[in-house]
Amino acid sequence: PAVTKENNCLNAAKACNLNDTCKKYRSAYISPCTSRVSTAEVCNKRKCHKALRQFFDKVPPKHSYGMLFCSCPPSDQSACTERRRQTIVPVCSYEDKETPNCLSLQASCKTNYICRSRLADFFANCQPEPRSLSGCLKENYADCLLSYSGLIGTVMTPNYLRSPHISVSPFCDCSNSGNSKEECETFTQFFTDNSCLRNAIQAFGNGTDVGVWQPAPPV
Amino acid sequence: RGGRGRNHGCVLKQVHLNVTDLGLGYRTKEELIFRYCSGPCVNSETNYDKILNNLTHNKKLEQDSPHRACCRPTAFDDDLSFLDDNLEYHTLKRHSAKRVNIST
Repeated sequence: PAVTKENNCLNAAKACNLNDTCKKYRSAYISPCTSRVSTAEVCNKRKCHKALRQFFDKVPPKHSYGMLFCSCPPSDQSACTERRRQTIVPVCSYEDKETPNCLSLQASCKTNYICRSRLADFFANCQPEPRSLSGCLKENYADCLLSYSGLIGTVMTPNYLRSPHISVSPFCDCSNSGNSKEECETFTQFFTDNSCLRNAIQAFGNGTDVGVWQPAPPV
Repeated sequence: RGGRGRNHGCVLKQVHLNVTDLGLGYRTKEELIFRYCSGPCVNSETNYDKILNNLTHNKKLEQDSPHRACCRPTAFDDDLSFLDDNLEYHTLKRHSAKRVNIST
């Protein structure tokens, strides 16, 4: 069979709609994330974020991660990767009229207790460690993916960048950082260039880390 | 439920389809489970339905042939969302049955 024709992200969406729980919570966030509320606002971002958090809270990882962390062949720059980028309905949950500075976004995250604790989890569980085989300080991909997906629905909502390799970022950049340029770049690189997070996403997408998701079969 | 006689009548059935099979004009490769109500509603008939049946037979209603009990959803399934080929999301509401009217 033609392996290149397989679209894992499409297959994950099909599997979701054939599962009552996944289907219900998927449409429960897509509705608010795609409903225009006024001529000025494409959606109610607060409701969209809340429904996205519910989706990742209630739907088993097999289905929710299946869509968020689906693997696409490196050659694919459209059908599969674009669908993966669209998982969180970025036009509502991610993009904004202006791109804030990442450090000011981090400061506004810290004023919200959900965002503050989830960002701390993410920094703890996806800490890279070049000397370890997994690429992670805490060698637990499941915890890293859980804390990454936990950021979705906060002001730190991350998404895939249009890049030939897997790279993610919240909606912010390091312009206007002044004296804190270095600190800002360290912050963004934890998202965009993090081998622990990248390995965790790839391992899930390739199904090479199944042991973590399901109890290992008896020997 | 009714309790009298067999309840072989109106039941919920399901079929696995492509969204394009629905004929609503969407272009997508996504799929769904469509649930529908099917079967006769003899068991759920009231005196009203029996009278209508008798009057139609006896030609007491001139040309009228009023509708009898019919197998329909009493509740709809959850909404269904999908991404189309142009990367636009759509949400279908009240598109699939959840319960049928087999109660009397």
